[in-house]
Amino acid sequence: KKMASKIRVVLRPVKSIVVRFCPFESNVESTRKFLGCINHKKVQATNRNCEVTADVRHDGSEPLIDVMFADGERLIMKGANLTTIEMLTALGSKCNAKELMEEQKSKKKSP
Amino acid sequence: ATAANMAALSGGGGAPWRRGWLPALQFVRRGSKAVTRHWKAMHFQRQKLMAVTEYLAPRPAIPPRCLTPRKGRVEEEDNGYARLLRRQVEEVFRDNRMIAVCQYNSMPGEDVVLMRHYLRKHNIEVKFVLNEIVRPVLSQSKYKNLLPLFVARNILLVSPELKAKEMLRVLKGVPQINLLGACIDNTILSRQGVENLAKLPSLEVSQGQTVGALALLPSQTSSLLQRGSAYLTALLDEHIRQLQARETGSPAEPAPAQSSG
Repeated sequence: KKMASKIRVVLRPVKSIVVRFCPFESNVESTRKFLGCINHKKVQATNRNCEVTADVRHDGSEPLIDVMFADGERLIMKGANLTTIEMLTALGSKCNAKELMEEQKSKKKSP
Repeated sequence: ATAANMAALSGGGGAPWRRGWLPALQFVRRGSKAVTRHWKAMHFQRQKLMAVTEYLAPRPAIPPRCLTPRKGRVEEEDNGYARLLRRQVEEVFRDNRMIAVCQYNSMPGEDVVLMRHYLRKHNIEVKFVLNEIVRPVLSQSKYKNLLPLFVARNILLVSPELKAKEMLRVLKGVPQINLLGACIDNTILSRQGVENLAKLPSLEVSQGQTVGALALLPSQTSSLLQRGSAYLTALLDEHIRQLQARETGSPAEPAPAQSSG
């Protein structure tokens, strides 16, 4: 079983991450752990420009993670029934896919 | 070859009832003995025997997944350290008026020290807590509603004074700490509540406002009651002025007493 803090996500294509949750609810544990893992030194070091904001509300809304990529794409994850590892791997795979696309683009431009 | 012959002869001599020869010859020809310092592969027949006689664990009739799981044993914390920490947490909850719960995402060390320093100036102490210690303490005390807050890494900011504004200002400068909720004067507040509390004016100002609001009604009543006599005096003053103006205009002197009515 993997530990959530071991998963390394490369945040280069990410512009900003907004984590919204209501701490008095009972389904926020995975979202909070996700926030903790994202704020790790090594993950933050991959992209210093990425702003991670935590939005703490008290209106009974479900936990939400809103990721804005540099090319305008948006990834919304509703963390109520997801585990931390699932969310981290999903974000990681998205980032890797974007990186590959960018590499291919740059290879095409400069033959 | 001599050694092989000796082995064969001695094997034959040791067991006179056997009329065969011990097949020790084949092994000795390879050059290394049976017990070596390096790893030596077993004879193929021996390998086959070992493979066949491997241990197979007996499988239970019902796979353990299908059975209902037994309740996890509740460990009695005889650990003195945990008891000490719990006592400290109880003390904290008793002594301080303001307790704020924040989520702690890993911060560089200097930032932690700086933040502690700034909060110390306002007499706010920073305490790192472990969830497994705080949870039983809370569930037994009256702060049951703070229980769902204690997931993932948390810190407590405790203070005997209410300095919500300064605390919020310091926390705004530190992006990695998120205020989740607070228990101020035995009232549980969310983050919104804490912000509203910070926006409230200070105690003297609010006292002055209350006094003003309370004094408003009686002052209105008194002004209403006095309106009649005030109107009368105003009319009389006006009349006197008119008469004096007429007097200066013409020397006739009408008595001011005639006009009273």
